[in-house]
Amino acid sequence: MTLFLDVVSTAAILFIVAAGLLAIFGVLKIINFAHGAWLTIGAYCAVVVSGFGLNPWLAIPFAFLIGAILGGVAERFIVRPLYRRPLDAILATWGLGIVIGQLITLWFGRDVQFTPALLPGTFDLFGAGYSAYRLFAIVAAIALGLGFTLLLDGTRLGLSARAVIMNETLARGLGIDTEKVRLTTFMIGTGLAALAGVLLAPLTSVDPNMGVAWLTGAFMLVMVAGSSFGALAVACLIFGAAQVLVSIYFSPILGGITVAVLCAITLRIRPKGFARA
Amino acid sequence: MRDRQKLRLVLLVALALTALLLIVFGPMFLGRFSLNVLTRSMIYAMLAITVDLLWGYTGVLTFGQAAFFGVGAYATAMVLTHIGASPALFVVALVASVLVPLMLGLAVGWLSFYHGSTPLYATVISLVVPIVVTQLVFSGGTWTGSSGGLVGYETLPLGLPGYFRLSGACLLALAVLAIVFVRSDAGRLLVAIRDNEARVAYLGMNPARLKIVLTGVLAGVCGLAGFLFANASGVVAPENAGFVFGTELVVWTALGGRGTIVGPLFGAIGIDYLSASLSGDLPFLWQLIVGALFVAMIILLPGGLASLVTRFLKSANSSSTLKSLPTRIVKDGALASKSLLSIRGLGKSYGSFAVLKGIDLEIGAGELVSLVGPNGAGKTTLMRCLSDGTQQIEGQVDIIGTNIAGRAPERIVALGVGRKFQVASIFDSMTIGECLKMARFSRERPNPMRSLGEIMLPAAAAEILTLTGMADMLAKPVSRLSHGQRQALELAMVVALEPRIILLDEPTAGLTKTERMTIGTILKKLTDEMGFAAILVEHDLDFVRDISSRIVVLHQGKLVLDGTVNDVVNSETVRTIYAGGVHG
Repeated sequence: MTLFLDVVSTAAILFIVAAGLLAIFGVLKIINFAHGAWLTIGAYCAVVVSGFGLNPWLAIPFAFLIGAILGGVAERFIVRPLYRRPLDAILATWGLGIVIGQLITLWFGRDVQFTPALLPGTFDLFGAGYSAYRLFAIVAAIALGLGFTLLLDGTRLGLSARAVIMNETLARGLGIDTEKVRLTTFMIGTGLAALAGVLLAPLTSVDPNMGVAWLTGAFMLVMVAGSSFGALAVACLIFGAAQVLVSIYFSPILGGITVAVLCAITLRIRPKGFARA
Repeated sequence: MRDRQKLRLVLLVALALTALLLIVFGPMFLGRFSLNVLTRSMIYAMLAITVDLLWGYTGVLTFGQAAFFGVGAYATAMVLTHIGASPALFVVALVASVLVPLMLGLAVGWLSFYHGSTPLYATVISLVVPIVVTQLVFSGGTWTGSSGGLVGYETLPLGLPGYFRLSGACLLALAVLAIVFVRSDAGRLLVAIRDNEARVAYLGMNPARLKIVLTGVLAGVCGLAGFLFANASGVVAPENAGFVFGTELVVWTALGGRGTIVGPLFGAIGIDYLSASLSGDLPFLWQLIVGALFVAMIILLPGGLASLVTRFLKSANSSSTLKSLPTRIVKDGALASKSLLSIRGLGKSYGSFAVLKGIDLEIGAGELVSLVGPNGAGKTTLMRCLSDGTQQIEGQVDIIGTNIAGRAPERIVALGVGRKFQVASIFDSMTIGECLKMARFSRERPNPMRSLGEIMLPAAAAEILTLTGMADMLAKPVSRLSHGQRQALELAMVVALEPRIILLDEPTAGLTKTERMTIGTILKKLTDEMGFAAILVEHDLDFVRDISSRIVVLHQGKLVLDGTVNDVVNSETVRTIYAGGVHG
């Protein structure tokens, strides 16, 4: 039972971390290598909020807002000139990640910080105690996934976004303001990344380079998932399970590379990953 | 232009001589700190050159070079730590530090490049490799020293000046080799792959295999750099193999200037040296500046700092001359009787949608077959099925008696098929002469040291160039050609392959009347006099009527008519198809 919960909650955390990256890759076909930096920004938002002695839950909307605003600025000045050069966009966003990491270091110092637990203690589920926070992560991931499905299927922005995914030239020809769709998508993606940072903060320690460790895993999962949140959920579950099992039965160090290696192999066999052709 | 070329050469030689002097006499006036740091910087510069050859020249963005470097360094340190440090063992360490990364590089290349792989996938793999290597180092226990790395093993007894000179000499040798190589014919092939990988395959070369070999060889070079590093620094750590170091190499290459060899070399030395000198005073600010500069550079000046210099020194590399090969008439007795192309029951579907259904067709030497039909009839799909055996099809396609199933485009070119695409597929950053050279490389191995002045072309290809007025402007960049000239150049490249069968997808679309006449004349000559078979997709029915020996009509994926020009022109069916009368 614990094993099952470990798998599901690991998958949930992976999903939360990768969601923002997927939102951007799915619509813009751009890989935001500054994703790790936004996770870090989010985590530091949590540090700031708790530093002011405010309710730690406030960090969630606060981080989303800060992440989205900074994301808007980044989209306008850095990503927008590079939509036609996707490989260069990877590099430019990676450079941006370095800059953000150094700014955070200058501001907060390079020491490790801690945030108060959002949900301390354990929760009794089917007779076994399990970390309440990890259970909350599962709920959060499901909420996030449903939220996105609603956003894509139920709103005008979602419709425009889907149009841009399928055929951008046509979408522009039909009068959809693709620039605005891109800007909004990028802001949502970065906002989500910052939000994920808040949620990660209690699970790990907060330091200026914390995001990098999560970046590659999220990146690989997104590559496998293509542009579909459903596929991302499936990928997170399968590869998350593999990671948990390898960590328990072989070694935690090998567990750390399970996701990356399995994703690479999956893509070699099936270049489209889990996305339906 | 000549002068600039000379100036460039003089500058390069002067640069190499200065470098040589610095390497030899540097240890006499440089301080201990500078010697130490510069030794390391020069080793890193070797890595930057490998990144540049892959990314700047071939278009493969890679973060993986750090992993090969790390593997080489660890191979050296592990031999010296666990086995011992006799002179013989230093040789063993050297060999291992080159061979192990080389093997790993070939494996990584095999994983990254295959028919139909995307550039992004190679980048993905190049990210995974350093992560895997670092984790393996971490889990290696005492073998690899885990997170502490290996330290305290015996190193080559060279002393500080000795290492400085050794690293400098290796870097200089690598840089000179790389410069000679990228300016040679074989080196231009890398740029061809970057510009247009599909065209390289359809010129009969295997781009995936070329990239695999390149990855392997460059991994070996990284391993050699690792050997130097492990000796010079006396310590290896997991960070040396890590993904972050891999990205740093890319940053240096980008700032210095991708697509030049000297740029990344100076980029790596400059930034690494400055980092070491400044990071004491402004540790985070310096990183911040480099990061910001990097972002600005990618957006505003993708060619890096070197592009500021090369802009003034740009030379049209080769001033080459054409040389016609004796015409080879392929109408030999054995082939004339046999059909060159035989299609039996060909069908092709995308999902549930059948584009082609039950096509049967035999084409022999000397025939010029026009394939006509309205848009969506499946003409281009048919061409694709004939030139790429990896397509999933029903039925069978034989070319000169060989079933093409499972053969990638380059292996079908080897059977004697040349394909001209609908939109001219040539190499956009090259000159006319260079494009033509590429077309010959499947027949004559490209020279890895020199750029040959003579381009050997079959007479028919040379004639196309003469008729279109391009024979005298071989040094002209193809980016400045007109639409018609691009089409003619591609045709000349395809003819230069000396194929038996030429597939042409709308070769005259968008051409002027005179250009069309020229191409028509050439095609007739190729088939009538020289025994080629040609299959032509065409919408211009007047043109078709003038040149074809036979016309095949496709409609909704089926072959509805196959006959002489007269049969087809007077056919009721054809008229109704084009008038939109027949459906289903």
